[in-house]
Amino acid sequence: MSGGVDSSVAAGLLIEQGHEVVGATLKLWGGVSDSGCCSVSDVDDARRVAQVLGIDHHVFNYTDEFEKHVVEPFVAGHAAGQSPNPCIECNRFLKFGLLFERAKRLGFEKVATGHHAQVIERDGKHFLVRGEDNQKDQSYVLGYLTEEELSMLLLPIGHMNKTTVRAEGERLGLRTWDKPDSQDVCFIEASKGREVFLRSRIPVTSAKIVDRTTGEVLGETETAELMTVGQRRGVLPGRDGEKRYVSKVDIASQRVEVGTLEQILISRIALDESSLTFSHEDLRDGATVLAQWSAHGIPKRATLRNENGWHIELHEPARPVAVGQSVVLYRESEPTIVEGAAIVAPS
Amino acid sequence: MTQLYFDHAASAPRRDEVVAAMEQWQHGVVGNPSGAHRAAREARKAVEDARDEVAAFLGAKPGNVIFTGGGTEACHLAVAGVVNKHRRNNPTTSVVVSKIEHHAVLDCVEMLERDYDNVSVRYVDVDAEGVLDISSLESQLSDDTALVSVMSANNETGVIQPIGAVASAVGGRSVTHTDAVGAAPYIDLVEFTKDIDMISICSHKIGGPVNSGALILRSDISFDAVIPGGGQEKGHRGGTVDVAAAVGLAAAVKATMKDHEQTVKRATAYQDQIIAAAKQLKNCEVTSITAARLPGTVHLTFDGIASDELLFLLDQEGVCASAAASCSSGAAEPSHVLSAMGVPLSKARGSLRLSFGGETKPEEVNALIEILGQVVSRLQA
Repeated sequence: MSGGVDSSVAAGLLIEQGHEVVGATLKLWGGVSDSGCCSVSDVDDARRVAQVLGIDHHVFNYTDEFEKHVVEPFVAGHAAGQSPNPCIECNRFLKFGLLFERAKRLGFEKVATGHHAQVIERDGKHFLVRGEDNQKDQSYVLGYLTEEELSMLLLPIGHMNKTTVRAEGERLGLRTWDKPDSQDVCFIEASKGREVFLRSRIPVTSAKIVDRTTGEVLGETETAELMTVGQRRGVLPGRDGEKRYVSKVDIASQRVEVGTLEQILISRIALDESSLTFSHEDLRDGATVLAQWSAHGIPKRATLRNENGWHIELHEPARPVAVGQSVVLYRESEPTIVEGAAIVAPS
Repeated sequence: MTQLYFDHAASAPRRDEVVAAMEQWQHGVVGNPSGAHRAAREARKAVEDARDEVAAFLGAKPGNVIFTGGGTEACHLAVAGVVNKHRRNNPTTSVVVSKIEHHAVLDCVEMLERDYDNVSVRYVDVDAEGVLDISSLESQLSDDTALVSVMSANNETGVIQPIGAVASAVGGRSVTHTDAVGAAPYIDLVEFTKDIDMISICSHKIGGPVNSGALILRSDISFDAVIPGGGQEKGHRGGTVDVAAAVGLAAAVKATMKDHEQTVKRATAYQDQIIAAAKQLKNCEVTSITAARLPGTVHLTFDGIASDELLFLLDQEGVCASAAASCSSGAAEPSHVLSAMGVPLSKARGSLRLSFGGETKPEEVNALIEILGQVVSRLQA
């Protein structure tokens, strides 16, 4: 229970379904926060919701683990010019790693969350599918869950859209029913942003922004670590007046290459084999998949390949994807099943 | 399910005699003690009677008792009051505190250091058993030291601190303060704190109401008010004095003095029994076993077990206990006390504080020991 409306309603619905429920809030970030899910007021909201629902509530401290598995890799990734997704790592290692292990030790049969995604069972196997509310779907951040984890997972609001969730929250008398959605990374203060956070952790690097074809210097950035391939923000147009997009970030040589949209588009995304969650039986070379590489995106059609390393070939070119981001692969079916996930490797 | 309450150090059970004494001041007209009429005079009389009782608890002059809204406020008044007065009259001010103080003191000195350029904080080490290192204290004292604050006994480990030696080391050059909140249920503060200038106590750790405490002065010390207002409490603490809270504190100190011998005897027996049982548990260590400790606290660490899980399962069995260190969210957090003692994190994260008192029943201790054994072996399976 993060203190938001989704997990509040999830808990309420489980109780109505007759489950014996205990509320747990994870204390993840030990530092200052003005967004996300770790502030005292969010814990207070979760606790109050549990009180109103008449269930026990516990706060579990995972700040050390969060620092090690989420914050440190996030900082290290940026320092290397990559763009890791901290929410994916948090779900993978904390919410569905350590919490699941703890739940088993403490004698619980299931763990439920308020994510917008669904678990279905087919022939005794559990699959993750997209949430009913396409705008709010969170199957992407759960893409790495294993079959065993899915078999233990309940997602009580995955079949509802956000409006219904809020209406249910109001019906249940929960004070979080109209609480605004959390938007940002919980350990980064929204008022200060990523740059202030990164500067507090690592020395940042300035870099020249260079046109990849002409070699012309178009500008400079103070924090090359925050430039991500595909981005246009912070990049001035070229002399021809056309928009430029980041195509390569090289921290060591303090150089950010940019090009026109046409120049930077890619049709191949390399996947880091060690991070693949699917087995060769599930997905074969040549399979058609839907691939998504941002938290709230529309999955794009692609072909999975295993020649010179695993990769996907996009059926339509797209802006480049940063190394370190995750690609989640879906089966083009109804419902849309998650088939696997992998971290983007250097091409 | 039977509730087994082993968290007296967080809040002790409310004593019946406290409730009875406060009863009269919880209904209908309760005069403002600062007033001049009959109702006010009655209220004032009750407050001054209470002041006499609290003074007797410390062996202080009645006029030197300042009622506060709890232990944290008493500590804050002592620390901020003395430091503020000093920094306004001197180019630099230092304040010396132990590393194992309660956050009531630590957060206050950090705030003063943050807010005033001419204020600095110096921290005194403890040894591996959590006992203050007097030579470390001596090395931190300087000409600009306004205040030295060392708690009488630690709230997490129960380790009793060498307060007499602190007073000797300071030798009257700075004001001394002790947070005696944790020690009050068990230690005769008249003798123990006799050489300390300012003593903070709080009511709910000795069976009184919350939001009730006192700062007691042994000598005439000049310091700033933290809450200026209507000049109450000789100008040290503005705001209408809460008659019921003062009366409740007085009833609690009176009962604590009366039961003292029996409380210590019972708690010591429980402590011995729990420690003997804990020594049988795998990967369990009794914290500060060779140090002088309060009889009502047993602090344990379990290598390889998370406090969160231990407390969860104990709670499921009806045992109310604590990891001793928790943040405002309620989550157990690594203890600054254990860190100062050099306890490795893997052990510190498996902390458990069991605290009890004179009214704890032998069968409750037996039940606790049985449940603890079951829960620990389940988590170690």
